Parts: sequence; structure tokens; C-alpha cells
Amino acid sequence: MSITVSAHPGSGDAAAVPPPSGAASVRRRGPVIPLRYAAGRVAGALVSMLAVVVTGFFLFRVVPGDPVRALTRGRAVDAAQLAALRHQFGIDKPLIAQFGDYTARVVRGDLGTSYQYKTSVSSLIGSHVWATVYLVGTATLIAAFLGLRIGVRSAWKHGSRADRANSGIALVLWSMPTFWLALILIVVFGVGFGPIPGMFPTGGMSSPNVHGFFPSVWDHFRHLVLPCVTLIAVLYAQYLLTMRATLLEEVGADYLTTARAKGLREDDVRRRHAVPNAMLPAVTLVFLNLGTAVSGSILAETVFSWPGLGSLFYEALTVPDQPLLEGLFIFFAAAVVVINLLAELLYPILDPRVRTS
Amino acid sequence: MIADFRHRRAGLVGLAFLVLTAVAALAAPLFISAEDLSAVFAPGVPRQAPSGHFLLGTDAYGRSMVAVTIWGARISLTVGLLATLLAVGIGALVGVAAGHFGGWVDTVLMRVTDWFLVLPVLVLATALASVLTPGVGTVVIAIGVTAWPTAARVVRAQTLSVESRPYIERAKALGGGHWHVMRRHILPNVMPLMLAQATLTVSAAILTEATLAFLGLSDPTKVSWGTTLQLARAVGAVSAGDWWILLPPGAAIIAVALAFTLVGRALEQVLNPRLQERM
Amino acid sequence: MPLPLPRRRALALAAALAGAAVLSAPAAAAAAPSGKTLTVATTGSVDSLSPFLAQRALPTDIHRLMYDFLTNYDAADDHAIGGLAGSWTTSADKLTWTFTVRDGVKWSDGQPVTADDVAWTYNLMMTNTNAATANGTFVANFAKVTATGNQLVITLKQPQSTMLALDVPIVPKHIWAAHVADIGKFNNDAQFPVVGDGPFILTGYQKDQYLTLDANPNYWRGKPGFDHLVFKFYKDADAEVEALKKGEVDFVSGLTPAQYESLKGQSDIVTNDAPSKRFYALAINPGATTTTGQAFGNGSPALRNQKFRQALLYAVDTKTLVAKTLGGYGVAGAGYIPPAFATYHWSPDPSTAYTYNPDKANQLLDTAGFKKGSNGMRTMPDGKPLTLRLLGETNRPDDTQNAAFVSDYLKAVGIATTTSVVDQGKLSDTETAGTFDLGFDSWQVNPDPDYVLSLRKCDGRPSKPGGTLNGDDFICDQNYDALYAKQISEYDPATRASDVKQMEQALYTDAYINVLYYPDVLEAYRSDVIGSWEKQPQPNGVYWGQDGYWSFWSAKPAAASASSSKSSSSSSDTGLIAGIVIAVVVVVGGGGLVLARRRRTASAEERE
Repeated sequence: MSITVSAHPGSGDAAAVPPPSGAASVRRRGPVIPLRYAAGRVAGALVSMLAVVVTGFFLFRVVPGDPVRALTRGRAVDAAQLAALRHQFGIDKPLIAQFGDYTARVVRGDLGTSYQYKTSVSSLIGSHVWATVYLVGTATLIAAFLGLRIGVRSAWKHGSRADRANSGIALVLWSMPTFWLALILIVVFGVGFGPIPGMFPTGGMSSPNVHGFFPSVWDHFRHLVLPCVTLIAVLYAQYLLTMRATLLEEVGADYLTTARAKGLREDDVRRRHAVPNAMLPAVTLVFLNLGTAVSGSILAETVFSWPGLGSLFYEALTVPDQPLLEGLFIFFAAAVVVINLLAELLYPILDPRVRTS
Repeated sequence: MIADFRHRRAGLVGLAFLVLTAVAALAAPLFISAEDLSAVFAPGVPRQAPSGHFLLGTDAYGRSMVAVTIWGARISLTVGLLATLLAVGIGALVGVAAGHFGGWVDTVLMRVTDWFLVLPVLVLATALASVLTPGVGTVVIAIGVTAWPTAARVVRAQTLSVESRPYIERAKALGGGHWHVMRRHILPNVMPLMLAQATLTVSAAILTEATLAFLGLSDPTKVSWGTTLQLARAVGAVSAGDWWILLPPGAAIIAVALAFTLVGRALEQVLNPRLQERM
Repeated sequence: MPLPLPRRRALALAAALAGAAVLSAPAAAAAAPSGKTLTVATTGSVDSLSPFLAQRALPTDIHRLMYDFLTNYDAADDHAIGGLAGSWTTSADKLTWTFTVRDGVKWSDGQPVTADDVAWTYNLMMTNTNAATANGTFVANFAKVTATGNQLVITLKQPQSTMLALDVPIVPKHIWAAHVADIGKFNNDAQFPVVGDGPFILTGYQKDQYLTLDANPNYWRGKPGFDHLVFKFYKDADAEVEALKKGEVDFVSGLTPAQYESLKGQSDIVTNDAPSKRFYALAINPGATTTTGQAFGNGSPALRNQKFRQALLYAVDTKTLVAKTLGGYGVAGAGYIPPAFATYHWSPDPSTAYTYNPDKANQLLDTAGFKKGSNGMRTMPDGKPLTLRLLGETNRPDDTQNAAFVSDYLKAVGIATTTSVVDQGKLSDTETAGTFDLGFDSWQVNPDPDYVLSLRKCDGRPSKPGGTLNGDDFICDQNYDALYAKQISEYDPATRASDVKQMEQALYTDAYINVLYYPDVLEAYRSDVIGSWEKQPQPNGVYWGQDGYWSFWSAKPAAASASSSKSSSSSSDTGLIAGIVIAVVVVVGGGGLVLARRRRTASAEERE
């Protein structure tokens, strides 16, 4: 009986009006990455990697500053010792030969030997990378969670007071120099300012004399807070603004009107239909912004003495430690390329529309 | 509608602030003398807290922070604008070429663009800044060379949409060469959007300038917001709690970058009606 | 939504407040395993922990703590005293030195320290280029080194007055013999504790985080007062100062005047303003030449005029530089060797000193033919434009400030300048190429001044244009070189000191290297942790950067520190417990939220 049906709005006919795409439909088809698509992306990434390697070489080869001279500055070394050092670093050969050596090395995963630390760049990167992953990873997760969530809310109630406040805050954060925020955080929360007590350590990742599991965890947490907040501020604004913008594009879409027409509650329309569609571009952004995260991390790590790749980079800049800079450049760029590739390979699983394009 | 008006209002406020800042920067030599900015003949005692005479206190040389902050706008704005000119110039060139020629030109150019887009900007900019002789010019180049890909993408998209319009077909049919079509038909149509994009780029360029100066890659003898902050850090003003040296340049950077962003967003809305409802 | 908004806000606020309370508990998070710890903040970096490779200041200073040297410098006045060697004699021809190595000294693994260890260390540096990386210059003049029993015999090629200033860490042969093959790559950080014989034993190192040492209970001069010594790495001097204020570290050195003043008068903090062993100078390019006299580079020809150079000095007020750049913490410069080394310090007669006098500078420039143009700026005597290039280093904040001052002062007497402040690599390139006019230069001087004196010899110049500069600039003065040769073979301290002073006078008159000032070392430590420790020299010396290990070796814990460390550890326990409680609340609360949400989602699905 028709009357009974209309008394239970949206009970049976929801499936008749499926969203144009989204989580539900994907699950049904199952994850398939089309081979051609995947091959294209992998090839593209390989070309990018090659470009990174070539750029890395020439960019840092033209850096002026004789590294041997810089290294031996301030102490007496005779010409023979200097020549020996040049030979040891392989910088007495012609540029083309150096490029050959270099490419062969990089392919083997050998990024050369740091001038100032006299250890292999790969092992230096290896020993610093986790500190950076820990910091950037935590910050990205929190920033993405907060940014995307608040972005959704802002877009849904766009024009409201809350939206205006949130967008305003995001725009201010977006316009704020990272290093400056870090300095201010140290002054206010590291040292204490006015009535605010100095709550957090001013630098480092952990204290040397902490023993036991719980004290260590607690110690690490305390050290993480300020650098993490700095990075979150950088990333959060971007996530919020993009999520808000992409969702606003969906707000007027026909299928949402349909969903509403069939009586779905506003919350459900948002959560089950609009958000899944806007999520993909937003998640793309999270991946694409890895470059921003790396830049932010260089500054946050420098100011907070965080023992990661960022401060390694800053230290290498002051010598300049050519092989280390070169290695870090390649590593940073390669990390971004690889993660982007992963994201691209995941798209067809997340959103079948990508397959056809 | 309300949102639309509000954002334009924000854009207007931003614009008004920028005009004020620009006027102050241009007129600075009229009320700030060489002595005011001289390290030796500075009027005050180094690192003096705000007082009636020095409203924002003095910096590490004893110069008035008011004078230093206003003067800093000159370099920061110049670098921001020049770097943007360079970035949008490159971006427009690449974007129009890619959109107009299509085919393999498009593929190659966009591949390069995408590649630059994912590179960590700061890493590339610092590398460039350390390759070239340090100075304001170097910072302009470092920012310009790293900031163009976004502009290129935007311009390409717009070029593609312009290319599909009938009058372009007509111009081509009438024997208009590539150069003619690009210059007389595409560029004028792409220009307004480029302006909006440029405004947004200035904000990023000003932030990058401050960052490079902070890392010691700019010319420390020139007064800019970035170098002022770097000097403050070098002399230990942070731990001494000399907030009056830290706050003005930071606030100035935020205010100007924010103003450019607001103006850019407002421009985008006006120029691109489709965006109106989502901004 | 599972919780009404206001209630959620209140919960978040409560959590934040509780968190803040917990976090503000003293930072000395957990107590050290046992004994007293002295924590030092450093912005230095470790290039290597191998005494054969390390060139940076921090590891070099740490080697002082880990390994005993043959001789040491007295804490009170820097004169050479016994170290590993208790006594020594020289032969009549000045070429043979015999050192007697102290009996009963043991490596930290129980093996005895012998003359053979010393001979082995020196011989390795003499025969292996890689092993000579850090300290090769000390053994360059050695012909032969042998050990018999506890006697170490060093035979020299030429007499050498610096034999009691051999700053070479002596390593245990029985450990290091295994590393000879890869001595150029072995960084001595693979296995802890590192076997040594100094007052402290290296027990751990986390790059960029911390370096830990334990007191050597069997040290022959006596066990240090602190049981543990920790170096904590910071990238930023401001962060170091904050850490000191909060008690995260107990000692900070190398403060800026602003930082120093902010620490002065704080409770439980003692500040120390000590005359340093460093000079800060303005070097003038005399026109680059090779050792054979071939000219290259493009240094301004004006600088070859002695009157012009002297005018530059009359034009700069070094007292203002001290007052402004150093905030008054320093002494205006004169002689090449800082006044901290009273034996060797020379200062000019006031009548000939280049005391600030712009009129005199103008007069000198006028008579030398550098006429002022219509714009008030001077030109070369032949009418060509005159602009001097001023070169500084990014990493030395003083350079940026002084560049601003010097260019203002020179402008005031009509000399135009352009400034570039660049990184170390670019700086040394520009210097090597001789393409600068004025450059800032700063050196730490050792108790024995030989090294800084050797920098200004003719053979410091490169052998070919643009080749490696062994010295520091292109100065070449035969008179100076003759005096250098005389003092290095002079074994009578008083005569040698007089020779050195003559050399300083020659440098001053030539006016190629102009000492602007001697900056003070500004330090601060926590008096609630460190009760007492020794300065070097005394009474107005430094704690950090000593020639020796006196400060850390002599440091005694503060009497009150026992109770304060106890209270801090108990409050951190409270903090810990509160933290765990909060964590539990958050987890449980979060779980509750998730559950509530699940239920709602489920009901929504049912409704559909």
C-alpha cells in the first residue's frame, strides 16, 4: 500500500537512487588496477626519478666553494694532502666522468660520503629518516584529521559564523611564516610568557637520562608537542581550505538534492553522499602536500633541534656539504615521487571514475 | 549571495591595506633618514623596550623598530612582486604553449610542470640560492624558478577553454599563425585569471623570502622583514624575551601575505563566476 | 553527535588544563640511574669521534676529556705542565726531547698506559696520511719517535719551541691497532664505552641528540666530582638558553650579549664574563701573490698604499664596535695575541696606535692622493672609481653587524663599500681567488701562539694562482718571517716572548691584519647543580674552551642539588601518573565516542 510506504521514508528505495559513485559502489566492484594505467604511472615516475638524479648532480656540482678547502679551513694542510683528499672524493676528475661515477653510484643506492661526517650519506639519511617520519607523520595525520573534518563542517554550513571563524583562522595560519611560529611557540610554551608556564622542552627528541618504558613514552611525547604543533599549523590550513572548496562544489549537485528529496537526514546526506565524493581530491592533496611538509619540517626541525633529515639539511647547507645536500635533495624528491605514485595507483581502487580517464 | 559580498568585502579590506602598505613603503624615504637606518649612527640604544620615543622599541643596532618595519616593506614587497612577475611569466609561457599547441608539447610541458610541482620548494630554492651569489636578486630568481608551476597549470586550463571557443576557430581559419592567436586571442582572455593567480603567488613569495633570509641565504645587510627576524635570532633576542623585535616583522609578514591572499581570492571569484558559490 | 557540543568543549578544556598542569612539572623528567649528572648544552657538531679525524671544536674538546695528552696547561695561567709525561729533558743541540711517561696510569679496560702507546700514536700520524688528518701538523717536524720502557724519545728535524704544546690525544695501541687499515673512515663510535685514560669515559653518542660520558674512577689526578657528563645538542642558541632557564641543561657557553643579560640576576643561575682567547680582525687583501711572487686576483691597488690602510683604521671606531656588536662585552683590539695571554700580548704605544680619528683618516687619504669627488666619495689618485668589497661569513653573526658598522664608518670618510656575507665554502673560494678587498677574520689562539703566527708567513701563500692558501691571507714580510724562524728555535721563554711581540709590532705597522677587538666569552651555569668549578686562566677565565679539562674535572655538585633532584624526580612521577590517568581517560573516552557513533551509524543504516 502506497500510504504505508510513504510512512517509512527512504526505507526500501534508497538503492534505487545510488550516488554517482562512492564507497558503496567501489566495494561491490572490488579493487582492480588497470594494467595500462599502472604501467603509465610507473613509467612516469621513473622519468621523474631520472630527472631528479640528473638535476641533483648538476645543481650541486655548480655550487661554488671548494669543499676540500672549506673542510680544511683553519688548519695547516699541505698541497699533497689536499690533492689526496680531492682524489678521495673523486672531484679531481672531469665533470662527465664524475657524472658517470655518480649515476652508477646512485643506482646502487650509494649516495656518496659526507664531507663533514666522513660517513656514507645513505647511512646518515637512514639514521635520521625515522625522526622525520615520526614528526611529519604524526603532524600530517592530526592535521589531515582536523583539517578535513572541520573543512567538511565549514563547507556544509558555509557563510555561518563558525565557517567564517574557521576559514579566517586557516587563512591567517596559511600566511604565517613557519619559523616565526616556531620561535613564538618556544617563547610562549617553552619558556613561559606571562601567566603561561613553560610546559614543553625547547628542543630535541628525548632526554638522555630517562629510563623505563612509560617515562620514555612520556618524555618523547613532551618533546613532540611543539614541533608537531608547528607543522600541524602549516598543513591544517591547506587541508581545511581544500576540503571546504571541494565539498562546496558538491553541495549544489543534483544527486544530493535527490537524496534529500527522498527524505534522508541532512547529516546522512553529508556523510554518506557528499563527503565520499569530495574526499578523493582532498586525500590527493594530502599526498601532494608532502613537499610542503618537507619544507615545514626543515624549519621546525632547525628551530626545535629535532634530529631528523631537516636539521641534517640545514647543517649541510652551512658548510656546504655537497654530497649530503645532493643526497638529501634526491631523497626528498624521490620520496615525494614515490608517494605520489602510490597515491595514483590507489585511485582506481578508491574511485572507479579514474579508470575510465 | 551574502558569502559573495562578504568575501568581496574581505578583498576590499585586503586591497585597502595593501595600498596603505605600498604608500608607506614608497614614501618611507621621506620620513626615514639614512641615519635612522644606519648601524653606527642609529638614534637609540640597542634592544630598548617600547617607550614614548620609540613606540615599538629598538632593534639590535638601536634603530627604531617602527622605521625598520616600514623600511622592511620595501624589500619584502619588491622581492615578492618581482619573484611573482618571474613566476607568472614563466607559468604563462608554459601554460599558454601547452594549452595552445597540445599534443606532445603539452605532454612534455605538463610532465615538467608536474615534476616541479611535487619538488619540495624550499629544498630547491635553498639549493638555487646557495648556487648563485647571495643577494636580493638571487632570492627573486630562486622563488621565481620554483613558484611557476601552479600558474602554468591554471593558465593551461584557461587556455584550453578559450581554445574551444568559436572565434579562435575563425581566427585560425582566417590564417592567423600560432603567435597571432596566442598573442591576440588567448593572452587577453587568460590575463585576468593570471592576475588573480599572481596575487596569490605574491603572498607565497613574501613568505619564501622571509624563510630564505631566516636561513641566511639572503643579503643580511639589507633591511627586510626576513633579515630583521634573522638578526633578532642571531643576537639572541628570542631568549632575551625582546618580543618587540620579533612581533612587528612577523605581524607585517602575516598581514601582507593575508591581504594578498584575500585580494587574490576575491579576484578569482569576480573573474570566475563558477567559483562564486564555493568561496 | 554523540555529545552535545558545550559538554564536549568542557571536557576538552578540562583535559587541556590537566595536561598543562602535568606538563609544567619540572623538566628533569626522570632521575639519572645513579649519581650526579652535569648536562652541558652545545650548538657544536661532531664531525668524528676519532682523535685522528676530528677537526671541529666540540669533538676536539671532548677528546681532552677522554684521552690524556703528553702535557697539559696550568689552570691558573696556562703555562705548560705535565700530563701523561711527568717530566722531560732536552739535548744540547735542541733536537732530542726525552719524556718520562707517568707510572701506574691505566686505560679504562685495565691495561697499563705506556710510552709505547704514545710512540705508536705519533708514528701512525707520521706515516699514515689519513691518521694525520686532524693533528698532522704537530708531528710534521718529527724525524723519529721511539719508546724504551717509560721513556719516550722524539728526534726533531729542526729545533721546535712548541714541544710542550703537542695537543694530540694519545690512544691505546692495543685497541687502535685493529683500525689502522680503515683509519680514514673509522669514527670511534661503534662500540661503547670507548677505552680511554682521561678524566671521563665516553659511554654513548646519539648524533644530534646527546653524548654521554661517565667519570673515570681511576683517573690519576683524581676522580671527577660529577659521575656523569652529558652534552645535549641544540641547533639554536636561544633554545639552549631556554633549556638552561628550565633546568634541562646546567651550563651554556657562547651567549650573545642579549642572552647573557637576560640570564643575569636570575635565581640559581651564575653568569661568567671572561676575556677570551680569540681575536676578531679585519684582514686587508695586500694583493694576491704566489710563493714565487706572481700576482693574481683583483684586490684594489689602493690597499697596497700603507697610508691608505692606516687611514682605514683611523676611520673605524673599535670602541663603538665593542659597545654595539659586543654590547660592551669585549676589549678594543690592538696586538695580534689577545691580552688573555699576558706573556705574548703586545699593545702599541698610544702615540702610534690607530685610535679612532676621522680627521686624521681624511688627512692621510688626502695626502695620499685619494681625492673626494663632488658626491663626497673618494676616487683613486688616477681618478678611477674606488669601491672596496667587504667580505663576511654567514655563520658568524658578528660579521653582519660589523659589516654594517665598517661600511658606515668608511662612508663617513668618503670610501664606498659593497658587502657580501656568504657561507664558508664561498668565503674560502673568494679568499683563495684573491677577489676581495676587506674580509673579517677570527681565530682562537692557543697557549702557544705558534699556529696563528705561522698563518702570516710568506709560504702561507699558494704555489700557483688560485691554488690552496696554506695560511690565511697573502701577507709576505721577510722581516716577519725571519722573526718567526728565530722564535720557533728559541727555547728560552722570555726571549721567545720578546720575538713574538716584535712580530706583532710588524703586523700592526704593516696594517694588513687589523685586530678590531677581543670578544669576551659569555657563559652561564646553574648554581643549584654545580657547586664549584675551576676557570682557566684564573681569576677571570672561561669554563668552556679551556686548554685542558679543568672545569669538568674539578666541578663539584651543589650541596642542595641532592634534595632538589629528589623532589624533581618525585614530581615527575606525579606527572607520569597523571599522564597515564589522562591517557586512560582519553582512550576510554575515545572508545566511548567511537562506540556511540557506531551505534548511531547502525541505526541510520537500519532506517535506510
